[in-house]
Amino acid sequence: MSRHLPPSDREPDHYVNPEPFDPTATEKLTPEQERFYQASQWKIMWWKFRRHKLAVWSGVVLILFYLCVPFAEIIAPYTPNERNNDYLYAPPQTLHLFHDGQFIGPFVYGFTSEVDLETLRWVYKEDPDQVQPLRFFCSGSTYRFWGLWEMDFRLVCAAEGGSMFLAGTDRLGRDQLSGLIYGARLSLTVGIVGIVISMFLGILLGGLAGYFGGIIDSMIQRLIEIMRALPELPLWMALSAALPVTWSPVWIYFGLTIILGLLDWPGLARAVRSKLLSLREEEYARAAVMMGARPRRIIFKHLLPGFTSHLIASASLSIPAMILGETALSFLNLGLRRPSVSWGVLLNEAQNISVVTIYPWLMAPVIPIIIVVLAFNFLGDGLRDAADPYK
Amino acid sequence: MKTSGLFKGVAAAILISWAGTAGAFTMTPTPGIAEGLPPTSERAPVDPLVTNMTEIGRTTGKQGGELRTLVGRTKDARLINVWGYARLVGYTEDLELRPDILKDVQVEEGRIFTLTLRRGHKWSDGHPFTSEDFRFWFEDVLTNDALNPWGMPSFLLVDGQPPRFEVIDEITVRYTWDKPNPLFLPELAKSRPPFIYRPAHYLKQFHENYGDPQVIEDMTATYKVRSWAPLFNKLDDMYNARNSELPSLQPWVLTEEGDDRRIVFTRNPYFHRFDSEGQQLPYINRVVMTVADGKLIPAKTQAGESDLQARNLSFSDISVLKRGEASEGYKTNLWLSTKGSQVALLPNLAVKDPVWRKLNQDVRFRHALSLGIDRNMINKVLYFGLAHPSNDTVLEMSPLYKDDYAKDWAAFDPEKANALLDEIGLVERRNDGTRLLPDGRPLEIIIESSGESRAQDDAIELVAETWKELGIRAFLKPSQRDTIRNRAMSGDLVMAVWSGFENGVPTADMPPVDYAPTRGDFLSWAPWGDYYETDGQSGEKPDWAPANRLMELYDAWLASSTKEERAQIWHEMLQIHADETIHIGLVNQVRQPVVVKGLSNVPETGIYGWDPGSHFGIHRMDAFFFTEQD
Amino acid sequence: MLYYTVRRLLTMIPTLLVISLLTFFIIELPEGDYISNQIAVLKSSGESASVAKLEFLRQEFALDRPFFERFAIWVGLWPGPHGFDGLLQGNWGWSFEYDKPVYEVVGPTLPLTIVLNAATILFVYLVSFPIGIYSATRQYSWGDYGFTFLGYVGLATPNFLLGLVLMYLANAWFDLSIGGLMDPEYIGEPWSVDKALSVLSHLIVPTIVIGTSGTAAMIRRLRANLLDELHKQYVTTARAKGMKERALLVKYPLRMALNPFIADIGNLIPSLVSGSVIVSVVLNLPTVGPVLLNALQSQDQFLAAFILLFVSVLTLVGMLVSDLLLAVLDPRIRLGGGSRS
Repeated sequence: MSRHLPPSDREPDHYVNPEPFDPTATEKLTPEQERFYQASQWKIMWWKFRRHKLAVWSGVVLILFYLCVPFAEIIAPYTPNERNNDYLYAPPQTLHLFHDGQFIGPFVYGFTSEVDLETLRWVYKEDPDQVQPLRFFCSGSTYRFWGLWEMDFRLVCAAEGGSMFLAGTDRLGRDQLSGLIYGARLSLTVGIVGIVISMFLGILLGGLAGYFGGIIDSMIQRLIEIMRALPELPLWMALSAALPVTWSPVWIYFGLTIILGLLDWPGLARAVRSKLLSLREEEYARAAVMMGARPRRIIFKHLLPGFTSHLIASASLSIPAMILGETALSFLNLGLRRPSVSWGVLLNEAQNISVVTIYPWLMAPVIPIIIVVLAFNFLGDGLRDAADPYK
Repeated sequence: MKTSGLFKGVAAAILISWAGTAGAFTMTPTPGIAEGLPPTSERAPVDPLVTNMTEIGRTTGKQGGELRTLVGRTKDARLINVWGYARLVGYTEDLELRPDILKDVQVEEGRIFTLTLRRGHKWSDGHPFTSEDFRFWFEDVLTNDALNPWGMPSFLLVDGQPPRFEVIDEITVRYTWDKPNPLFLPELAKSRPPFIYRPAHYLKQFHENYGDPQVIEDMTATYKVRSWAPLFNKLDDMYNARNSELPSLQPWVLTEEGDDRRIVFTRNPYFHRFDSEGQQLPYINRVVMTVADGKLIPAKTQAGESDLQARNLSFSDISVLKRGEASEGYKTNLWLSTKGSQVALLPNLAVKDPVWRKLNQDVRFRHALSLGIDRNMINKVLYFGLAHPSNDTVLEMSPLYKDDYAKDWAAFDPEKANALLDEIGLVERRNDGTRLLPDGRPLEIIIESSGESRAQDDAIELVAETWKELGIRAFLKPSQRDTIRNRAMSGDLVMAVWSGFENGVPTADMPPVDYAPTRGDFLSWAPWGDYYETDGQSGEKPDWAPANRLMELYDAWLASSTKEERAQIWHEMLQIHADETIHIGLVNQVRQPVVVKGLSNVPETGIYGWDPGSHFGIHRMDAFFFTEQD
Repeated sequence: MLYYTVRRLLTMIPTLLVISLLTFFIIELPEGDYISNQIAVLKSSGESASVAKLEFLRQEFALDRPFFERFAIWVGLWPGPHGFDGLLQGNWGWSFEYDKPVYEVVGPTLPLTIVLNAATILFVYLVSFPIGIYSATRQYSWGDYGFTFLGYVGLATPNFLLGLVLMYLANAWFDLSIGGLMDPEYIGEPWSVDKALSVLSHLIVPTIVIGTSGTAAMIRRLRANLLDELHKQYVTTARAKGMKERALLVKYPLRMALNPFIADIGNLIPSLVSGSVIVSVVLNLPTVGPVLLNALQSQDQFLAAFILLFVSVLTLVGMLVSDLLLAVLDPRIRLGGGSRS
């Protein structure tokens, strides 16, 4: 044994703390570390989320889009169903800043239309002498703000007697840009109702199955199996055909989202169930059971917080599915209709592909759809990463 | 015996032209038919229908070629029998009735119809077509309780009495009623005719009274039907072109080639029409229908995938079609729709709500609504100004047309309209300017649409805009056909948007059935039509004088025996419609694109309609031919 | 294993019964039936003469009976007007619209439906597998972002629009006929090399369109799973022991990460059918989707109910197969035992 020890007359060749060992001393934390360890779960999530640059920017973009929901009337230069007989199928007007080398501020050139009887389409000629500067914080045609107050204040309007169709107009001369801004109202909100319903059902049924197991579990499992076995879209169609036709289109769509919510929960329920199954076995949950907590308390107080973050992330990922679902329904003529305006309704104009080759700006609604769906997906990814306690 | 010469002159003319060209007329062999068939002269009737193409403004063509066209559903295979338009009697392009399959029709006192067939005329399988085929239908199909438990169709009944049917000889049959039956011949010329003749030699094998019971039993098993009657009904489908074995008299017959996505028809080698050069018609050998989704058809047409296309193309496709013309080498002809109005508003005169009923029945209200529509603006926005602003009435090309029918109360005059509304007593207004009904409700009209036509929905939006100036709010409610019909019948419907009269080009000889409350599916007065249809069993009796008068006139037409009498009845009915503005028509004579690729003899302009018209039918699709053939 | 399979198969029976009841109920929800609709259509086009023929069908198909009786007749648990004659007896029903037995309508569409769905699954797997691995092993690289972004754009574009645009471009650039499964001249012709090529070229667009929506999700799952595995202890250990990176990746983590591919087979079927309905309508493909759509719209009830039921059965079988496959491939999964100890 002794030959393994260093010779006593030599200094050891590595560092040895000369201080005597003090068993009561604790490691000093840096203020950052301290903050981290004492922060709540939500705060940590927020910090982690902030590191995910793409997700943060997506969040910002979404907030901007959602601003259109309450303030559509003020942001849009026209009301969505306002028609202009002189500008049917008008192409988008380009914004200019300089006229003849002179700075004027944002303006458009006026244009005139006539029918080309040979090809039977509207032809537009831009008039380079007609400079129409945009007006800001102006009054345009009147509208009812939130359907309540008559107002005419707008962020931006066309010049007096001029036009401002930055995304072109459709076959009846309705401004597409305004349509998009108003369309956000329905497209971005109504789907959320469906998600709320499906989350509620998913958590409830998944929770019941996961916590109680046994008969309840296998019944709910069968139910999930049945729901998943039915293809969604045809089911949606059949159910929508069953809604009373005397309903207004918005109500029909509202009904459809509720139906979708009613059909969409099995995925979530499965996730909730398996999470619960594993969390239930954790020590703290067992402890709670042994201390005599009732199932309700255990589920909501101890188990649910364990995967709330997961739920938020999965919700943010289902919203884009709702938005896309709406456009698909409009394509099949089952969704919303004018005078209601949504992105699906606007995109419906683009379903005749040959028309789109003549009037390409009818495709414009696809841009916000892609942006919003992308943003929701990135946001969801960021949230999920942030919510994962193991990263 | 007094003979009214309805068809005498025509038949004689055909015979003369036949005799006149007899020297030069030798029948040439027909290309593209199955081998081993007898020569043309033995296949053709002794006295075929010979058309001198230059006399009807066409050119003599060349036989051969395969025509590609697109349809929206497999079911549309039946269109071949509409386009082919071989009828016992059929309309010409000028909408005159002429014998076609028949050699001659003699009408006595408007009630005795003697039909003469062409001697030697054969079914598409080569079996002679004789009076036996008429007898078989009348005695063994129509009056067989198992095949047809529902009794005679209405065009065969006069005062509820069926005709007496006689076979005179092998090529002559006669139908006799006690009173005139003006419905009989127009019915035979319809785009979906009643087919009062059937290929007896083929169908008898499946008929209880004739066929071999063992064969029938085997067949019922193969076709998974339960007895001989459904089997017979399934195989006996002269219109739908589903049974390739069923002999036909039409220019093209179904082949066994192809499937549900591609339907192939080939020429009938026994067809009875010839051109004056002795070439058997139709010129085109084969017609191939490809089934494509209706929404894709304009794009496919634009890509040059159809040689003749009108189905599933609409006015709004014209700009697209025009664009493809140069690169794909087709031409877009613009025909005229024959509808009385492309878009019409139909106030329900039999609405249940008493306030609305009073208002809808008030002629001043309907006038005000009509005067409050800027038809020129609608024409410009929706139709590039190419349609005609008009009431829902007959078109200019109809011999019954008068300017007043189209123009009365159809000018945009909001001032007058407002004055009329004030006169009715609708003077109270809500703070936003909307007038109030006598019971205090706002004057908001829910206009229900079938949701199938975007032009209709757009038109309502434009109408609502100008109605606002009258203090009337209009809302569009897209719904479904059946729902609207049911709501009309129950009296819940206040107003609907629909297309106008189906037949905008009537002659006096065509029944004015659309113009009076004769049917339960007319949205202006469904319960009244039901009352008439069921002889008072259901529905309700009209409580509105003009409707009663229209009914009387329609009944008078049914009993009429001369053309003059009928014309007079027609004019009175049209005048009532013009005075009362029963339908509020917007525009008519909308262009129907007809895309033609490499075909000759397709008219540049023509009328496009279902009944009369049969789409290409009256324009003699059998005379269309390919200019360039490979 | 055998016990488990048998038990799963047995539980499928009540499940199927419920599904069939549910589909039948849903199909019958809208007002009226096929025959009343057709009568209205005929009347409106002035063809009242043909109405009578249709009334006949109503009795023939027992449409005048109460709901549960109709359902039982359809399934074959109750005698109809002609004795027991339903699904259980091998009678799949009658299509009014086509005037043919249902199997004659559905039959011809099945091969293509299967080919298209198989091609789509293959596409999803072939595309997402390499990209998923690439993204996981080179996390936060430009390639990772680029591919993920592309996948998301595919997901974010509405299918029908993507289909329309690609179809139009295929016609404009490659002169492919618009829509359909092949150029029209090959329809109904015997099979040949040209015909097969024409079919293949027409399958590209729908495969891409239907596939893109699934690809993004699959890439994301594969990437996440693989990342999880790569951070595990045994990987670190193996790396410390000097195992080559490639072998390290392929040997274990990849096998674990494959689970979603297998688990998803069952899930993919209903979503592909839903996805392919719209794309098939847009691209005019003779799959079962448009037939179902038309059947639903015209209330051709037996046809619609049968197709829905058929897809459901496929899905159930697919789920079973993927569960069994998972058990074979992943020793950690125990069958039958459930989660309770």
